[in-house]
Amino acid sequence: MRQISITVNGKALVVEAEPEKPLLWVLREDLGLTGAKYGCGMALCGCCTVHLNGDAIRSCVTPVARAEGKTVITIEGLSRDLSHPVQQAWQEIQVPQCGYCQPGQMMSAACLLAQKAKPTDTDIDDAMSGNICRCGTYPRIRRAIHRAAEIAAVKGGRQ
Amino acid sequence: MNGNGVSRRFFMTTAVAAGGGLLIGSLMDAELSGATAAIAAAEAPLNAPLTSALNSPLNPWIRISSDDVVTLISSQSEMGQGAMTTLPAVLAEELGADWSRVKIEFSPTAPPYRNPRINWQFTGNSESTTGFFELLRTMGASAREMLIIAAANRWGVKAEECFTENGKVFHRPTGRSLKFGDVAEDAAKIAPPAQPKPKPESEWKVLGKPLRRVETPAKLNGSAVFGLDFSVPGMVHAAVKQSPAHGGAVASFDKSSVINLPGVIDVVPIPNGVAVVAKQYWQARQALRSLKVNFDDGPNASLSTESLNAQYRAALDGGAWKTVKTEGRAVSGEEMTGKFAAVVSQEYESQFLAHATMEPMNCTAHVTEDGCVVWGPLQGNELTQLTLAATLKLPPEKVTINRTLLGGGFGRRLLTDFVVQAALISRAVGKPAKAVWSREEDMQHDVYRPATLQRITAGLDQTGRPTAIAHKVVSPSILQYVFAPAVTEDNDPSCLEGLMETHYEIPDQRVDFHLLKTGVPTSVLRTTGYGPNIFAVESFIDELAHRAKADPYQFRHGLLKDERALKVLDTVAEKSGWKKRAPKGVGRGIAYTEAFRTHIAHVVELSVTNGLVKIHRITCAIDCGVALDPEICKNSIEGGTVWGLGAAFKSNISFKDGRTVETNFHEFQIPHMYETPPIEVHIVNSSTKGMGGTGEVGPVTLIPAVANALFAATGKRYRSLPLSKHGLTIG
Repeated sequence: MRQISITVNGKALVVEAEPEKPLLWVLREDLGLTGAKYGCGMALCGCCTVHLNGDAIRSCVTPVARAEGKTVITIEGLSRDLSHPVQQAWQEIQVPQCGYCQPGQMMSAACLLAQKAKPTDTDIDDAMSGNICRCGTYPRIRRAIHRAAEIAAVKGGRQ
Repeated sequence: MNGNGVSRRFFMTTAVAAGGGLLIGSLMDAELSGATAAIAAAEAPLNAPLTSALNSPLNPWIRISSDDVVTLISSQSEMGQGAMTTLPAVLAEELGADWSRVKIEFSPTAPPYRNPRINWQFTGNSESTTGFFELLRTMGASAREMLIIAAANRWGVKAEECFTENGKVFHRPTGRSLKFGDVAEDAAKIAPPAQPKPKPESEWKVLGKPLRRVETPAKLNGSAVFGLDFSVPGMVHAAVKQSPAHGGAVASFDKSSVINLPGVIDVVPIPNGVAVVAKQYWQARQALRSLKVNFDDGPNASLSTESLNAQYRAALDGGAWKTVKTEGRAVSGEEMTGKFAAVVSQEYESQFLAHATMEPMNCTAHVTEDGCVVWGPLQGNELTQLTLAATLKLPPEKVTINRTLLGGGFGRRLLTDFVVQAALISRAVGKPAKAVWSREEDMQHDVYRPATLQRITAGLDQTGRPTAIAHKVVSPSILQYVFAPAVTEDNDPSCLEGLMETHYEIPDQRVDFHLLKTGVPTSVLRTTGYGPNIFAVESFIDELAHRAKADPYQFRHGLLKDERALKVLDTVAEKSGWKKRAPKGVGRGIAYTEAFRTHIAHVVELSVTNGLVKIHRITCAIDCGVALDPEICKNSIEGGTVWGLGAAFKSNISFKDGRTVETNFHEFQIPHMYETPPIEVHIVNSSTKGMGGTGEVGPVTLIPAVANALFAATGKRYRSLPLSKHGLTIG
């Protein structure tokens, strides 16, 4: 066990954990942030996706030590009031069914949109290929990403 | 940062509510209470404050407090199918409640919440709408009439002059109104009307149009509480390891090998395995890897895919059959020779499948001297209650079942194995305990969709039209663990779904069944018997169409008389542009059936290059009676179509040395975004007299439509699944 400094959803924190403990379980068990989900433990399903210094990563295979001194954003940090364009689009298009994979889907989508303001279908295929959905909501996720891009563009235009 | 505050908040928001139900996803902490107006309406059903005001039950489904909070009860678990939105909406519609202000609670496990069709409380078999629609209409109408009588009495006017709207009772002649909360206490004292009158569809304001799901907001900011997210103060965590071989057991384990590892509290035997209990799940999981444990593989140690294949083959070629359907002359396949212009026979094979819910099996339990309380992602409340009562030797009323949201169900969470484990672990350590399965445990200890082997034989007339059909099915049981009363030594009705009640007009029909006993645990999985059976029937009908040199759509049309069937078939043909010639190299496949009381047809358009299958477009039409929420229905059918692509092309469970071979999603594969083509769903509404389910039906016709499209594109017929074993992948 050692003390590890990380910034989670804008808050600078010090957690005491085994350095090799996956970030997912530190978030869920030590920080009480249960939005990121356990699905496979092998970076195969994407349910645990969070942002580490802006990149979408699989927190189930990321030792917490790798997040030391870095910035982590989880689904809880996207926004609590559902104001992020991805959350707005997901709500508008009513994407989720069971919803278990959606925090990961949304974090991957948010990362894509941060890098490409207007992604093509191919961009979406590439960026979302690590997130699986057993309910099969992919058609709506695709629509919602395009919609989120529009919402973000309008918001950006206003600023 | 200490996690306790956060855990406590999650606990508070899932606290047991006044009526014994559990508030789920009621995520309203201070931050979210300030949500934007845009989402406030959608959140309102979950956002209503808990109240200490007098809360009058008008019946088991509806409570109205004196401060005007309308609480509607959802008997059905929420696993993504939208039941906790659509069914309370039925109550709200009839009541005349203000939908934006109602509060929704899950029911306790009690007789009023049983599915009236089979008098049993569960969520599954696509029965939430079909089973509860009429009951909830009646309950809503009954409560409405009671509120009206109470208001009319208060005003001294005739009840016939009053109506309800937006949570108020109105007196039409004078325009006076009273809030529901003002008259609820009086209304609760009025005897329920003998024959309450539901509203005609033409007056619906809430039903028949898309409502935003009540739990969606919580699913978008991480605050939704699934089983894995649930916590109670003082809770410990368990990681489990079950016998790798199906039917095996623990021979020995050495507690001392892990007891001194960080956080470990105990090592507890469970029915077919062992659980390491620790302060945190990660600690339990790590310690489990170091645990010295030996298993006895038991009676199935030599079971393999090859041994199973041989077992299926012997059964299909053998003579042990139960004749389960006879119509007309009911000629068997063997007897057809020489009696028809032509006889055609083919075999079809569907594979074992895992549920692979994204949320692995888990449950939290607290067993005390007073009883047992569980919280978890559960579909089978009543079976779970009775099983726990028997296991713990408690009267059933001492077992309380609380439901969280489900991260997928698909039938898996009707079973009780993981719930019993949590209860036994809690009892052993004397604390509330959550048992969580790793993905590997989940996949290797699933209770699988059984593989089936089938042979269909048809006698044709001079035009190639079938006048006799004989179907032989070999399948292990589907209902044995979830609804044992329906299963006999040699029959299981779920295995015959889609064959007993076909809409094709064929005079002579016969179905023979062999209930196969294997070492593989098998149970219900989305599509149940319909999946494999309709793959066989719709592939075979397609083969007959091509043999007759007929258009597969027209050939089916000629065999159908049922109006709903024809409308759905015509709709899918029209919307897919079936009559326009497909571009060169592009094949179109069609399939139709009625399953789970819904009529459904798919058209798949694809082309194949060196084993890479490019799916261009999928069109689907359904008639589920009346779609109470068209968007929820469409989402479900879209998702079911994607599920079907996985079952058709990729997903497969195999066995070796008594064990399941596949361990995780790299081996048991499901579709990705890039494999999902554009999918159009068209809803054909007929009548509320013929309501059907939409949760499971999506994959049923998709799979044969894919196989039929592959034939159209390549001239090769694929009769066994998954298609990956024929070298085909979605490209």
